[in-house]
Amino acid sequence: MFQLDIRSRVPIYEQLVEKWKELIIHEVYQPDQQLPSVRVLAQELTVNPNTIQKAYRELEHQGYIYSIPGKGKFVAPQATTTNNEKVMKMKQELLKLLSEALYLGIEKEEILSLITIAEQSTKGGNQDD
Amino acid sequence: MINVTNVKKSFEGFEAVNGVTVHIRKGSIYGLLGSNGAGKTTLLKMLAGIYKSDSGNVLIDDEPVFENVKLKEKMIFLADSLYFYPNTTIQQAAHFYQSMYSSWNEQRFKMLHNVFQIDITKKIHRLSKGMQRQVAFWLTLSTMPDVLILDEPLDGLDAVMRQKVKNLLIQDVAEREMTIIISSHNLREVEDLCDNVGIMHGGKIIIEKDLDDLKSDVHKIQVAFKQGVPVDLLKEVPILYKEERGSVLLYIVRGKESTISAQVLAHQPAIFDLLPLTLEEIFIYEMRDVGYEIENIIV
Repeated sequence: MFQLDIRSRVPIYEQLVEKWKELIIHEVYQPDQQLPSVRVLAQELTVNPNTIQKAYRELEHQGYIYSIPGKGKFVAPQATTTNNEKVMKMKQELLKLLSEALYLGIEKEEILSLITIAEQSTKGGNQDD
Repeated sequence: MINVTNVKKSFEGFEAVNGVTVHIRKGSIYGLLGSNGAGKTTLLKMLAGIYKSDSGNVLIDDEPVFENVKLKEKMIFLADSLYFYPNTTIQQAAHFYQSMYSSWNEQRFKMLHNVFQIDITKKIHRLSKGMQRQVAFWLTLSTMPDVLILDEPLDGLDAVMRQKVKNLLIQDVAEREMTIIISSHNLREVEDLCDNVGIMHGGKIIIEKDLDDLKSDVHKIQVAFKQGVPVDLLKEVPILYKEERGSVLLYIVRGKESTISAQVLAHQPAIFDLLPLTLEEIFIYEMRDVGYEIENIIV
């Protein structure tokens, strides 16, 4: 399983949410795959079970996982996931990076060509699947 | 599960605990923090039914805890200074605990021997301080308590043991919904363990909250501007603390991350960092509010 950074300033439950999102977005955990139970994860990570419960609740609220009472938590299929929040954040980050790049004197054409490269690499990845 | 309402306790006119109200849910790990002499141990001893409160109620499962044998059988108070009967071996101590606690689990005691690898025929007072602590945890966890009250519990344990003990505690919380109340002044120690914290000062609880809420409620920001500081910077959020370090401004503000960053970004800062606070910092800034602060005293 993953490792949490106890020294980090970021609250543990936020770290948990981010780690799970990463695992789900990158399909390390496939849609409809079961997540480890609160008990198991608490023991494995030495993290307060209430914190894990809270992280799971947040993930469910954000649509990354769904729960079946009595059975456990499962990864929600990506199509139904509302990634709005993520997209917004990414746009902000991109904007910040782009303005920095322009400030440092990178040409607009150069940035555009980078976009083309990125586009090609994701398409290429799909063909390999 | 645990309801403490307006309890007071004084010793020879000194009010150690002065009107404290605390609520602790079942299966929660509650961190009791506070300045030295804030009344943490007194409060814990009242929770454990060792001290009788002068006024107010200490209820566990809606029953008063003082002199309540049935309740006390299901809880254990692990004091900061340990006491074992003179000349007892671990085995003898285990027999004693077995006779006192009906929920004693012999199987668990044997299993925990793999964790605490100490010869059970050894006399406890001959062991080192840290090993005595281990024995205390060993005996405590074998009684399968529902409520575990720990006063400065991890002092004297090495890093490996500390992690092992924490893991054992968490297993019990996860599997049996054991409730833990833990006092400590090593804030980093409890930061990753607790879900709720109460901060005490001068016999009172000054703040009681969900730890994550507490953390996401207060932020530290560093900003710098190219052309002077805007006049109306952060006008709409409460500022707890402000400091100027050269041209970089340091603020501690209360509020949501999104509202704070929106307000600061509106002024187009040259540098802008927003960090959640550590428990240690929260403690220091909350204490400053009640007049207990770090001053650089030159002697």
